[in-house]
Amino acid sequence: MRTLRRASVGYLWRHPWQLLLALLGIVTGVAVIVAVDLANASSQRAFELSMDAVTGSATHQVVGGPGGLADATYVALRVEHGVGRLAPVVESYADVDGRTLRLLGVDPLAEGEFRDYTQPDATGADGRAVLATLLTVPGSVLLSADAAAAFGLADGDAFTLEVDGMRRDAQVAGTLPDGAGLRNLLVADIATAREWLGRGGRLTRIDVRLEDAGEVERLRDLLPPGVQLLDAPGRTRSVAELSRAFTVNLTAMSLLALLIGVFLIYNSISFAVLQRRELIATLRALGLTRGQAMRLVLGEALALGASGAVLGLAAGAWLGDELLALVSRSINDLYFRVTVSSVSLDALTLFKGLAAGRLATLVAGASPAAEAAGYAPRLGQARATLEARAGRLLPRLTVAGGVLALATLPVLLLSGKALVAGLAALFMAVLGLALTIPALVRLLVTGLAGLAGSLFGGMARYTVAGIGAQLSRTGVAIVALAVAVSATVGVSTMVGSFRAAVGDWLDGTLQSDLYVNAVRGSLAPERVDELVAVDGIEYWSSSRRAWLENERGRTRLIVLRMAPRSYAGTELLDASPEEVWPAFENQGAVLVSESYAFANDVAAGDSLRLPTDRGERAFRVAATFRSYDANPEAVIMSRSIYDLFFDDDRVDGLGLYLADGADADAVAAALGRVAGGRQSLEIRSNAELRSLSLDIFDRTFVITDVLYWLAVGVAIVGTLAAMLALQLERARELATLRALGVTRLQLGSMVTLQSGLIGAFAGIAALPLGLLMAVLLIDVINRRAFGWSMAVEIEPGVLGFALALAAGAALLAGLYPAWRAGRSDPALAMRED
Amino acid sequence: MRKVLLLSCLLLAACERGPGAPPVDQPPPLAELLAGDAEAGYARATGSRDFSFPADHGPHAGYRNEWWYLTGNLDGEDGRRFGYELTLFRFLLAPEPPAGGDDWRSHAVFVGHFAVTDVAEEAFHVAERVARGAGGLAGATSDPVRVWLYDWSLRTGGSGEFGVNWQLVAHGDEAGIELTLVPQRAPLLQGEGGLSQKSAEPGNASWYYSVPRLKTTGVLRVGARRHEVSGLSWLDREWSTSALAADQAGWDWFALQLDDGSDLMYYNLRRLDGSRDPYSAGSLRRADGSVVRLGADDVELEVLDRWDSPAGGSYPSGWQLRVPGELLDLRVRPVLEAQELDTFVRYWEGAVDAYGTRGTTRIGGRGYVELTGYAEGATTLRP
Repeated sequence: MRTLRRASVGYLWRHPWQLLLALLGIVTGVAVIVAVDLANASSQRAFELSMDAVTGSATHQVVGGPGGLADATYVALRVEHGVGRLAPVVESYADVDGRTLRLLGVDPLAEGEFRDYTQPDATGADGRAVLATLLTVPGSVLLSADAAAAFGLADGDAFTLEVDGMRRDAQVAGTLPDGAGLRNLLVADIATAREWLGRGGRLTRIDVRLEDAGEVERLRDLLPPGVQLLDAPGRTRSVAELSRAFTVNLTAMSLLALLIGVFLIYNSISFAVLQRRELIATLRALGLTRGQAMRLVLGEALALGASGAVLGLAAGAWLGDELLALVSRSINDLYFRVTVSSVSLDALTLFKGLAAGRLATLVAGASPAAEAAGYAPRLGQARATLEARAGRLLPRLTVAGGVLALATLPVLLLSGKALVAGLAALFMAVLGLALTIPALVRLLVTGLAGLAGSLFGGMARYTVAGIGAQLSRTGVAIVALAVAVSATVGVSTMVGSFRAAVGDWLDGTLQSDLYVNAVRGSLAPERVDELVAVDGIEYWSSSRRAWLENERGRTRLIVLRMAPRSYAGTELLDASPEEVWPAFENQGAVLVSESYAFANDVAAGDSLRLPTDRGERAFRVAATFRSYDANPEAVIMSRSIYDLFFDDDRVDGLGLYLADGADADAVAAALGRVAGGRQSLEIRSNAELRSLSLDIFDRTFVITDVLYWLAVGVAIVGTLAAMLALQLERARELATLRALGVTRLQLGSMVTLQSGLIGAFAGIAALPLGLLMAVLLIDVINRRAFGWSMAVEIEPGVLGFALALAAGAALLAGLYPAWRAGRSDPALAMRED
Repeated sequence: MRKVLLLSCLLLAACERGPGAPPVDQPPPLAELLAGDAEAGYARATGSRDFSFPADHGPHAGYRNEWWYLTGNLDGEDGRRFGYELTLFRFLLAPEPPAGGDDWRSHAVFVGHFAVTDVAEEAFHVAERVARGAGGLAGATSDPVRVWLYDWSLRTGGSGEFGVNWQLVAHGDEAGIELTLVPQRAPLLQGEGGLSQKSAEPGNASWYYSVPRLKTTGVLRVGARRHEVSGLSWLDREWSTSALAADQAGWDWFALQLDDGSDLMYYNLRRLDGSRDPYSAGSLRRADGSVVRLGADDVELEVLDRWDSPAGGSYPSGWQLRVPGELLDLRVRPVLEAQELDTFVRYWEGAVDAYGTRGTTRIGGRGYVELTGYAEGATTLRP
């Protein structure tokens, strides 16, 4: 067996191209998996670190509604009820020099058990003086050494920052110790934070340390209505959960790259087996058992898989770094603020990459190994017999593929809303249908060969028929290319449909002429009054976006004060506007987004229990509305109802409807003057907001683009490998043709034509496959992940591009084999056999 | 007086000395802080003042430090013996209230120490609290007198022949008290009409009075068990801005309620070289109400025993205390050796028994002793 292994190594070493291609397949597949996993895990980890840093060692948190908690709640717990181990917190964001920091307002005197980094003696020199400064000097803060260095600040230095869009004076009281999650943190006394935020008398939350269930119950009993005691790790999870659907989808894309990598590996290994068919047959005659032959090939595959996976890990780490920027930017755009400073390479990611590499090689190597084991123990086996075997295999493969594809139906029907099952169904459908492609090619080729023969003569017939005759090679190339190209069709169609739907939705939603909001913050009611008093404004609407929390999780609440024209901006899906809006405005009814309805099985007429500052209350659902918001599950409530149930008078955004003849630019300028010097506002026209939203949309799908281009790259390499294998295998045949007088040019053309046909077949197969993928992505994956529904929009451009891509990729991959075929020396090639 | 040093240590980093080294070898921790401009802007204890009660039981805003300090020896109905200490410190981080405007913005910080000595169980239960003097979290008011830090509070309520009564409430994890204190004597002004000079420098002094004998009844809780208790408490009140000289290292403070009806207070100030500081002082109020001021030379103090803290440091633990001018000769013994508070600043404060003679008459008593400067202070803030 050792001799055999040595023979294996020697063989692969003498055929570096094959080695390289096989490796490339594994490396690329593993790299993409690892990279996506890394990017996902790193951004999640960065988020969790920063959450952990601000949560500290709290086991629970006391939270109120969107307006936070009244001080009185905290004071009563402390003074009347004598509850210890509490730390009040005010949290927001502050911008310094274009960098966004998390502003954490704490009571340094109550912090000891919660966040040791806020403790004065943890801050270096003269800790108690730092404490005194924090408490008595307004605007004094602790910041990380990293941030201090970036801003060029030393202890005692004054600087300005922006909170809620308002410029504020700050000074460095001290530096935070180096620690995970502290780099982008700004710690201030609670009084400073509230002076900046204009939120006197309110806390964001109270951190709590509780030992057992009894303590939890006792504390819960002390809380006033509308105030919740929540499990701290659960809160972190529920925030992190927001981006889950997004990351699952990325993972699915990376699996696609691996799938295509599997084709590539299969190609290389089976080629290596074929080249040695005589050797293996001879060895079998000399006593090599079937099992040994099988192990030999699988051993090669695994050795390749192992080394490829290791290289893939390295490549993945590099690629992950690149992807991370894209992923974290999208998460920032869409979900929550996260600053990822480094890729965190964890054991699990590495294990996943290695396991994926191994599994892929095993799957890819299984069939060639079985092939090797099947060689009869006699000398030599003709290519023709092999193809005959492949031909016998073809019906079985086709049937298996068809069954697999059909099996997606029950999977889809039985799996309810499970996203992962939806993805599994997608893969089953694609793989199953892909397996039926070779049979279709054979059919097609048989017909085409006859046609080509009668039109262009024997050589043409020979060329076309060659594809079908060597289906064990060409089939794989076509399938790999078809799958890759179908992914571009599927994903492009999905993204295109999605974009069109979002565009329509934005057109409908953005009814106002101008939109105003504070930069990373909210507007106080006085500011709203000033702004809407500007000349030229006929009507105005306002919005407030908040999270309602209770033990069951978080609910996105959108609070709207409607203007007469606002109503048309909300597309109602299951009720008539005449019934819905009066109930919404006057009877406390709410609307739920399509996603919310899908995820929670709620429909118009149902009732919804929401935590309010007055305690939990039931609200009737008047209708379901369409929304493609990044936080898709949402409930809309009217401002007047909100004001009854919540102690929160702030507004996040204003929609302004201009009077006839008013000039938008002039009004915008006037708004800027009203807020001038006090609060930075973002004032945008509806067109600007629309394009901004679509920009964010496009940015989100940049990652998708990158991933499917990687898949296409893998497919091109795969096609090249298949073409090369074909030519190498056919060296004697080609030499014979040369000897029979076929010119170099004719040979080259033949190979090129075959490549082109392979591309054309792949492209044609890719179109229905891609469209099916698009339908599944839209109606299954998007639906299950986000609850969105949308129409499938097929763009002819996408289909045309897919055909061109397939043909182009195949032709590109055929260049070298064609050049090689033309150059081959007939005498040498014939002697070799 | 000892609280001056304690308070300063609480707030200022100077007490963060390295572990192991004996305190007397250290440079005077407060010298730099209490010298120079540190006191600029604060009121100083100089000259004389007319004390007025109950108003002076309340806070004195302009001074940097102030405290309400209660200790007592109590007996349960079943004869079980307890001691307690409840101290609320107020100190200012700056002379003027800070700008800013938030309700929680404050230059005052309150620190509370609460300890219960359970003699039968040989247990000592300590709790410490810190809070800003704002937003209702902690504070002190004059009318009515109320001082509180979270759920710990002392307040006046009702009055008798010798002034207002006090209500005390404090609960830690392990022990708690809910007590009513009725004064048996009028407040006693310490030092020169209430001005207690701590060193030669003018202004290095505090306003200091005591209510040495408060009849105490109420409930004392240890764990989940509540004991009906009665006994005597001692209230010390002091406010100042600075006091200590550079060469003072610590002190031994005695407050004894003797069974002949007299009350003895004496603080022995120790200098860095181990000698007794001439500003050591005290007072003896005789049973008939007459008061004798005691100077450093009027009291003899001999250490009989020592106790080594498991956390490091060695404390005197038993004294022979003599006031020859009053024919008083007392042996003072802790009811429990381990009564050390491992708080911001580590110190020993515990219930003691006294017994001996006055002239030829046998005499006994109970009281509290505080010992500072024998151990390193802890440096972490704990709520």
